[in-house]
Amino acid sequence: MVSAILSAMTHQTHMQERTNEQWLAELRGPNPDEALADLYDLLVRGLRAALGGHADGVDANVGDFAQEALIKIVSNLDSFRGESRFTTWAKKIAMNVALTELKRRRWRDVSLQDLLDRRAATGIGLADPQLTPEQVVFQNTVLATLQRTIDAELTDRQREAVVAVILEGMPIAEAARRMGTNQNALYKLLHDARKKLKLRMEAAGLSPQEVLAAFDEG
Amino acid sequence: MLSRVDLKKLMRAVAETRESEIGCDECFEQMDRFAEVEFSGSDAATVMPLVHDHLRKCEDCHEKYEALLIAIGAG
Repeated sequence: MVSAILSAMTHQTHMQERTNEQWLAELRGPNPDEALADLYDLLVRGLRAALGGHADGVDANVGDFAQEALIKIVSNLDSFRGESRFTTWAKKIAMNVALTELKRRRWRDVSLQDLLDRRAATGIGLADPQLTPEQVVFQNTVLATLQRTIDAELTDRQREAVVAVILEGMPIAEAARRMGTNQNALYKLLHDARKKLKLRMEAAGLSPQEVLAAFDEG
Repeated sequence: MLSRVDLKKLMRAVAETRESEIGCDECFEQMDRFAEVEFSGSDAATVMPLVHDHLRKCEDCHEKYEALLIAIGAG
């Protein structure tokens, strides 16, 4: 299959339109080269357009991303459920390959421990001078409630995930990699943490919407 | 320790929390269909509310979705 993909990379002819069934039949058939070549071209075009806004050097990787995606697509044809055009499904896989890798590179040098250590050393910070004294008191109450819940009721892993993803903006997939889990499991871990925080805030008579509204007015 | 700057980030995340949410895997599974619904001019948020909700909350998935829309538009 890899040699067929490599030969697909040098293919230059105009692509023929295919139905989903035709794509699947050709890719599974004895002569998949033409379909592979067309799909490769399509992925390269989509990747170039979608990654245009990214930093320099991405263009040079587009061929690698398309090739890796092509291998994944061909080995996972059985998971295509036919709920979209085949080409849309294939492009989705290509975008996932490319963006996962680009993010991995961008966050390569950031360690989770450094983020957590830095966080432990930060103070509460100065209050916005535009807030009224009542709003500052209210803000302090909310902060104390949140801090208490985070310290006492979240698990260590939930706490790490909240800090890394919600507060420090680390991509979920990257935080997951560092925590030895996967993106889906980490999203669920964060969901449980958010639900716990919401419950405790509501129990303390604090509605997150009201808190946000209060400070947006400040 | 939480800072005042964290407060809004955390509040936004908490305020949008629903009892039932789909995860990244389920969102990714349905993302191609969601994109085509949106591309067809229909209201994808109404047709597939859980995917819409996940895309609003998960930056990782949202980025992939935005890229997919551009790639679809590129033909």
